[in-house]
Amino acid sequence: MSRIGVFVCHCGLNIAKTVRVSELAKFASTLPDVVVAKDYKFMCSTPGQEMIANDIKKHKLDRVIVSACSPLMHEQTFRKVLENAGLNKYLVTIVNIREQVSWVTHDIEEGTAKAKAVLNGAVYRARLLGPLTSRVIDVNDDVMVVGAGIAGIQASLELANTGKKVYLIEKNSTIGGHMAQFDKTFPTLDCSACILTPKMDAVMQHKNITLMTYCEVSEVKGFVGNFDVTVRQKARYIDHSKCNGCLACTEKCPGKGVSEWDEGLVKRKAIHIPFPQAVPQRPIIDRDACVFFKKGKCRLCEKVCEHKAIDFEQQDTFTTVKVGAVIVATGYDLMDTQPLVQYGYGKYPGVYNALEVERLFNSTGPTGGKVTLRDGKEPQAIAILHCIGSRDKNNYEHCSRVCCMYSLKFSHLFKEKTTADVYQFYIDMRAAGKGYEEFYNRIIEEDVKFIRGKGARVAESADEPGRLVVEAEDTITGKFVKLPVDMVVLSPAMIPRSGSKEIARLFNLSTDKNGFFMERHPKLAPLSTMSEGIFIAGVCQSPKDIPDTVAQANGAAAEALTIVEKDKMELEATTAMVNPSSCCACQNCVRVCPYGAPFFNEQKGVSEINEALCKGCGLCASVCPASAIIARHFTNDQVLAEIEGLMEF
Amino acid sequence: MSINFKHIEDKLKTEAKKLLEQGKVSIVLAYGKGYDDHHPMPYVARNAADVGNIVFNEFCTANLARYLVRYPRGTKIAIAVKAADSRAVIQLIQEDKIKRENLVVLGIPVSGMKNSKTGEIIDSKTTCGLYNPVLYDILLGKEVHGKSVISPYDVLAEYEKMDKDARWDFWKKELDKCIRCYACRKACPMCYCDPCFIDQNKPKWGEKSPESHGNLMYHLTRFHHLAGRCIDCGECSRACPVNIPLYLFHKKVAKECEEMFGQVAGMKIEDKPTLVNFRVEDSDKILE
Ligand SMILES: Cc1cc2nc3c(=O)[nH]c(=O)nc-3n(C[C@H](O)[C@H](O)[C@H](O)COP(=O)(O)OP(=O)(O)OC[C@H]3O[C@@H](n4cnc5c(N)ncnc54)[C@H](O)[C@@H]3O)c2cc1C
Ligand code: SF4
Ligand code: SF4
Ligand code: SF4
Ligand code: SF4
Ligand code: SF4
Repeated sequence: MSRIGVFVCHCGLNIAKTVRVSELAKFASTLPDVVVAKDYKFMCSTPGQEMIANDIKKHKLDRVIVSACSPLMHEQTFRKVLENAGLNKYLVTIVNIREQVSWVTHDIEEGTAKAKAVLNGAVYRARLLGPLTSRVIDVNDDVMVVGAGIAGIQASLELANTGKKVYLIEKNSTIGGHMAQFDKTFPTLDCSACILTPKMDAVMQHKNITLMTYCEVSEVKGFVGNFDVTVRQKARYIDHSKCNGCLACTEKCPGKGVSEWDEGLVKRKAIHIPFPQAVPQRPIIDRDACVFFKKGKCRLCEKVCEHKAIDFEQQDTFTTVKVGAVIVATGYDLMDTQPLVQYGYGKYPGVYNALEVERLFNSTGPTGGKVTLRDGKEPQAIAILHCIGSRDKNNYEHCSRVCCMYSLKFSHLFKEKTTADVYQFYIDMRAAGKGYEEFYNRIIEEDVKFIRGKGARVAESADEPGRLVVEAEDTITGKFVKLPVDMVVLSPAMIPRSGSKEIARLFNLSTDKNGFFMERHPKLAPLSTMSEGIFIAGVCQSPKDIPDTVAQANGAAAEALTIVEKDKMELEATTAMVNPSSCCACQNCVRVCPYGAPFFNEQKGVSEINEALCKGCGLCASVCPASAIIARHFTNDQVLAEIEGLMEF
Repeated sequence: MSINFKHIEDKLKTEAKKLLEQGKVSIVLAYGKGYDDHHPMPYVARNAADVGNIVFNEFCTANLARYLVRYPRGTKIAIAVKAADSRAVIQLIQEDKIKRENLVVLGIPVSGMKNSKTGEIIDSKTTCGLYNPVLYDILLGKEVHGKSVISPYDVLAEYEKMDKDARWDFWKKELDKCIRCYACRKACPMCYCDPCFIDQNKPKWGEKSPESHGNLMYHLTRFHHLAGRCIDCGECSRACPVNIPLYLFHKKVAKECEEMFGQVAGMKIEDKPTLVNFRVEDSDKILE
C-alpha cells in the first residue's frame, strides 16, 4: 500500500481551457492508493509548492503525482519539493497534461478523457516506484570545440582566456571557415581578413588551445562532464613537427587539384596551403592530385624539402581526448544550385554562386581581386538573384538571412571594381540588423538598380551570342522583365555543412527539417541541445550573420563554462542493469547503446552495463529479447502497469 | 541432378574422422540414426570411434546450427551444414555468439530433401530456396546448378493479396491452433534465449497455457525477435505438429527488412545484425 497525492495544475488557462481540472482531481481521488487529490491555478508557484509540501506531511504521502506541464519544465522544481519534505526525489511523477493533452486538442471532452487515462496510468506506475540514489561524478575541466569558423574560433578564445584548456577540431587544413574567404564584410565593409586573421593567429599562439586541423571526430563516448572523444588526424603526408612552412615544396609540385578554397574556380598544387594567410602555415598533400600517389613516380617535394618533412608513408592517426563539454560549430554550405536548371548554373559560364563571387573580389582569390568572367572579360551588366532555393517551399522554406545584405555588399564592390550596371532581383529587402537599413540606403545611392521580383529564369540571349538574359516579373510595375546581362550571381540557400548528419549522430543531436541542429528550447535555451553538455553556435544552428554568430559563440562558451567550472556533478539515478541469469548474450544492448555503456563480459558469458556511462535512455531494455535488462525507474513492471492503466480508458 | 546421399555420408565420415583424430575440433555436429531411416536425429561425434554412427540421407533436414550455442564459448566445433544452415552459422557469427576461427564448416549442397512427417519432397518455396551453402571450409559434394533458384518471397504472392483485416483473421485462426509445444522455438537456430521471454514470470508477458491471447503474445513477439535474423530454413514450420505456416510471417518480415535496409539475414559475415545496427543512410520508412 502506498499513499499517493495527486496535484492537478490549471497552468492558468493553458490546461484548464481544454481539461476540466477539478473533475480530473475528483477522478484522481477515486483511484487506488490516492489519499489526497487537489487542483490549483499554478502548481509551480510558491503557494502551489507549499501546498504539496504541507500535504506530504499532513497525509503522510509517500508518492506524489503532479499533473501539469512537460517534465522538461518543472520536474526539477517538484523533485526539490519532495526532497525538502524528506521524501526521495524520484518518488514524484510528472504527468504531462499540457503539451501532450490540452495543447493538442480544442475539445474539452476529449481533453478531459485523455487526461484521465494518462493520470490513471501514472497512478498504476507510481505504486510500483521505489527510491533511487543519484550518483556524483568528477567533471573534466577541458572543452572541445568542433569547427573552426568564426564561431569556433571565438568560442575557443573566450574559453582559453578564462584558463580552460580547449581542443579545437577543424576538418580543413586551415581554420577560418567561410569568413576567411570573404574580401569585405557588410554592413561596415571592413576587410574580412583584417579582423579575422588576428583571431586566427591568437588561436595558434594560445597556450591553452590545442589546435587540431585536418581532423575529424570519429567517436564520442561518455556523457556530460566526462566525454571521451576520438579524433582522427587525416594523413597530411607531411610531418608538421619538422616542416617550418617555407613552402619550397609547393613551388616545384607538378600535381594539380581543384582549389576548394577558391570554390573550384582555379587549380592549385597537390602539395599546398589553401590561401596565403592559412593557419597553420603548413602544407598538406592532396592524395588524389599527387603525381606520386597516382603514378608511383615524382617525389619532387621530398627532394626540395630541406627539413625532410615529407612522409609518403604517413597514415591516419587517432587520439582520444577527455573533455567535460563540447561546442559544435560546423557552419554551413551553400545549396547546390545545379539541380535548379532554370538558373543555368554549371551550364552557362556567366552564372556564379555567391561564394565564388566572394573569391573574385578577394585579392588572394583566383583573379587577384579583379572582377572578370571566366573568359577573362569584364562584365558590362550584372544581375544578382536573391532567394535561390531559400524562401521556396519546393526547396528550403527558411530565409537564409544574410543574402539581402551580401547582395548589397556585392553591388557596392561591383560598382567599385567595374563599370558594370548592377541589378538586384529581390522578393523583399530584409535589412533588420544594426546598421543594415543604413547600409541599404547607402547602396541605393550608388546607382544600383532594384527590381522587385524573383528571378525566374536565366537563358542564353538570342540576339547577342554569349550574353545571358534574366527573366522575372517586376511586381511593382506588374511587367515582365527580360534583362540582358553578362554575369548572373545566385544567392543560394544556406544549408548545414556536409557531414553534419554524421556529427548529429556522433553527438546525439536532433536536427530540424532542413538539417540544422536543434536547440533545447527555441527561446530559452538556444545554445544548448537535448544532449547535455553539448552546445551549438553559429550557422550550424540556423543561418545568421557574423555579429550574431560571434554573440552565440560567446554564449556557448559561457554555457560550457557552467559545466566545466564545477568539480563534481550529480547524475540521474535512472540507469539500467543486466540480470545475468536471463541474459542470452545476444549483445543487442552493446550494439544499440548510443553511449557505449553495455559491454560483453567474456568470462561470465553475459553482458554488463557500465553505470557511469549509462544515461537511462532505455534503448537496451527495449531490444533485449530475454527481458534481462532492468531500466531503473522504468522497469518492465512499472511500464506495463502504466500501459495497463492507460488501456483501461 | 540427383544427389548421391551415400557419397555425402561417406565424405562426412571421412572428414569428421580426420578432424577428430587430428584434434582440430573437439566435436562434430552431424546426423545419426533415429528410430527409423525416415527420422534421423542430430548427432554429436566426440571421437573417431563415434564417426561410424553418422548418417546422411534426404530426411536430414534439422538445422544443426541450433546446437552451436550450447557449447562453452571457444569450443572447437565442426558442423555439417546445408544451404540455409550455413546462413544460420553466418548470422550467429554476426551476433558474436560464435567465432569463425572456432569452426570447421562442412558444407553440403543438396536438393530434394524430404519432410520426415509426410515423406514428401519439401516445397522449396517454404525455405530459402538455395542449394549450396553460403559458407563452408570443406564442400562435401559438387555444387548444385541447373534449376533456376526461386525467389524466397514467391510464396507470399497469395498472402499479400489479403488486406489488413483478412491477414489478422488468418493469423488469429492459425495461431489459435498452437498447442504451445515450443517445437518451433526449439528447432530454430536463432531462438537461443534461456529463459525465453514467454517463460518468464516477472513480468509475465503472456499466458503460458494455449489460449488465444497468450498464443498471439508468444508468436507476435517471436516473429519480432526474428526480424532480420530468420535465415529462412523453414525448420520451425516443419517442426510444428499442427502445421502452422510460420514461414509466411518470417518471410514477409524478411522481405520488408530487405526492402528497407537492403540486407538479407545470414548472407555475409561482415554484415552487422540489421535491426540493431544504425546507419546514417538508413531509411526512415520504419517510423512512418
Ligand atoms: C556569400 C556570403 C557572404 C557573406 N558575407 C557576410 C558578411 O559580409 N558579413 C556577415 O556578417 N556575414 C556574412 N555572411 C555570413 C557568414 O558567412 C556566417 O555568419 C559565418 O561565416 C558563420 O560562421 P560559422 O563559424 O558558423 O560557420 P563556417 O564559416 O561555415 O565555419 C564552420 C567551420 O567548421 C568546419 N567544419 C565543418 N564540419 C566539420 C566537422 N565535421 N568537423 C570539423 N570541422 C568542421 C568547417 O570546415 C569550417 O571551418 C556571408 C555568407 C555568405 C554565404
Ligand atoms: S610527390 Fe610530386 S606531386 Fe606529390 S607532392 Fe611531391 S612533388 Fe607534388
Ligand atoms: S540485449 Fe539482453 S540478452 Fe542480449 S546481451 Fe544484452 S542483456 Fe543480454
Ligand atoms: S524462424 Fe524458422 S525459418 Fe527462421 S531461422 Fe528460425 S527455424 Fe529457421
Ligand atoms: S522467442 Fe524471442 S525470447 Fe524466445 S527464444 Fe526466441 S528470440 Fe529468444
Ligand atoms: S511448434 Fe506449432 S504448436 Fe508448437 S509452439 Fe510452435 S507454433 Fe505452436
